[in-house]
Amino acid sequence: MNDLRADQVSVAFAGLKALSRVDLAVAPGRIVGLIGPNGAGKTTLVNVLTGFQAATEGAVLMEGQSLAGLKPHEVRRRGIARTFQGGRLFRDLTVIDNLEVTGVGLGQSRAASIAEAEAMLDWIGIAHLAGRIAGALPYTDERRVAIGRALIGRPRFLLLDEPAAGMSAQEAADLSALIRRIAGEMGCGVLLIEHNVGLVLGLCDHIVVLDSGAVIETGPPEVIRASEKVRHAYMGSAADIDLPVLEVEA
Amino acid sequence: MARASILRRTIATPLILSALLLGFALIAWASGSRPFNQTVIDIFLQVILVVGLYTFIGNSGVISFGHIAFACLGGYVAAWTTIKPMMKGIAMPGLPDWLMQMEIPYWAAALAGGAFAAFWALVFGAVLMRLSGIAASIATFAMLAMVNAIYSNWSSVTAATSSVVGIPIVRSIWPYLIAAILAVFVAWAFSVSRFGLALRAAREEPTAAAASGVNIPRVRLIAFVISGAIMGAGGALYAHSIGIVTPDTFYLGLTFTTLSMLVVGGMGSLSGAVLGVLILSSLIQVLRWLEAGVQVGTGTFALPGGVQEIALGAVMILILMFRPAGIMGNSELTGRRARAEKPGEPGHA
Repeated sequence: MNDLRADQVSVAFAGLKALSRVDLAVAPGRIVGLIGPNGAGKTTLVNVLTGFQAATEGAVLMEGQSLAGLKPHEVRRRGIARTFQGGRLFRDLTVIDNLEVTGVGLGQSRAASIAEAEAMLDWIGIAHLAGRIAGALPYTDERRVAIGRALIGRPRFLLLDEPAAGMSAQEAADLSALIRRIAGEMGCGVLLIEHNVGLVLGLCDHIVVLDSGAVIETGPPEVIRASEKVRHAYMGSAADIDLPVLEVEA
Repeated sequence: MARASILRRTIATPLILSALLLGFALIAWASGSRPFNQTVIDIFLQVILVVGLYTFIGNSGVISFGHIAFACLGGYVAAWTTIKPMMKGIAMPGLPDWLMQMEIPYWAAALAGGAFAAFWALVFGAVLMRLSGIAASIATFAMLAMVNAIYSNWSSVTAATSSVVGIPIVRSIWPYLIAAILAVFVAWAFSVSRFGLALRAAREEPTAAAASGVNIPRVRLIAFVISGAIMGAGGALYAHSIGIVTPDTFYLGLTFTTLSMLVVGGMGSLSGAVLGVLILSSLIQVLRWLEAGVQVGTGTFALPGGVQEIALGAVMILILMFRPAGIMGNSELTGRRARAEKPGEPGHA
């Protein structure tokens, strides 16, 4: 009951089903992976969970309470944070201002939001970036700032939309370590949407696989690795291909 | 500590701008020329109006074509509250008795004009601030047209399109200087406030701002009301500078002039708002003198009539060609050699 849950969620755009009766649950402190080929409906599901898209059918529940009808900023204030593909930083603002926006958005004074933003940059290990203009950051730093911005106010759940896109293996490994700390040290439930299947298999306790808007497989990494349906969805055939696993230090 | 730090790091901007305005006032005072005095008063009034525009447009990124409506509301408050009751009885017989008998000083009328405009900004804004982009801009223009239509037709209260005369004229430059400096400080204070920061974030990435907990219509509404108040007070002082108002005093002409000044100065910058006024007003003044004729040796050199508008348009096009974001872009005057900062940025570099 203390989880974030999509319960039989369907979304249709002009008759076209983007999501079809999707079930998903993220418990506090756990990392759940959401994978699937392009167009599977992953981002649509994140949009539904964060109030950017209304479900045509089904419900989104946080700790047993429905989030129906809440606007995105109200969902965020309930404790569900997200990041976006491509970062979507406030490019003309400094890094610390980017984090501060969440503080003031959640109703803090500027003084309190600066203090928390500084502590968060320190926690993530990017305190040296505080005064940099966000639009001038390298790609990897942009992603870390976006995660820092989402973590202000200690959300109960964090939804990461392709945070490792374009990262090198080492950068992805560093990101994995950070995500583990977010779940472990903050007790935050993490939903990780990622194309890097290896990263997801190495990091997540539980994985949900979407294809064409429907859940085709769900379970721990070993179940996903062995699944013919997952191989078929990714490869277009049931070819005997090993899904990679990224080794991550715990 | 952190708050003090923001204030300390950004206070230079309003101080520098105030010093610039004081410089203009001192030149006018030292010259002793009454026409020049009036010119500088006009400049200060434009500063108030453009800074009012900046407070909303600069922070929200939503272009408003309707803000001069708030100046109109303020201007008529000045007429209602400061003209002698006997004159009001003739020009605006439909005013309620308490308002008919009211005769308050100009500064109180400016405050009342600001409050009245702020109230209507709250009413209009509650609906308009849910819109974005071009829809919001068109809706603000509709608001301007509505206010103009009401004030042009409600003859018993506004004298319709007739000029309302008898507003006490304030010729001293100092009240206008103080009001302009106050407007600059109010705009700066909003910009460095948490609402200003949230609104600038929403201007750049509305989706990410909403995902950060920012209630965008609400922070836009706060900016709309504050900017409406500044415009209302500016409109009241405008009325006191010329002693006369008509609905068309506050319509398309003033809308175009003030928006041009903001665009030329740099929409995202308080310094740009003030510099835009100072530069364009100075240019207009020089062209006016040249049109009126300047003594050169034994003859008189005069530009043909209409050159003022043509030259002004050409200069604006040139500035925007070479600096599309305006003279200041998104930067502020900080008095430091390093990269200029926006107000509200702690500048941890």
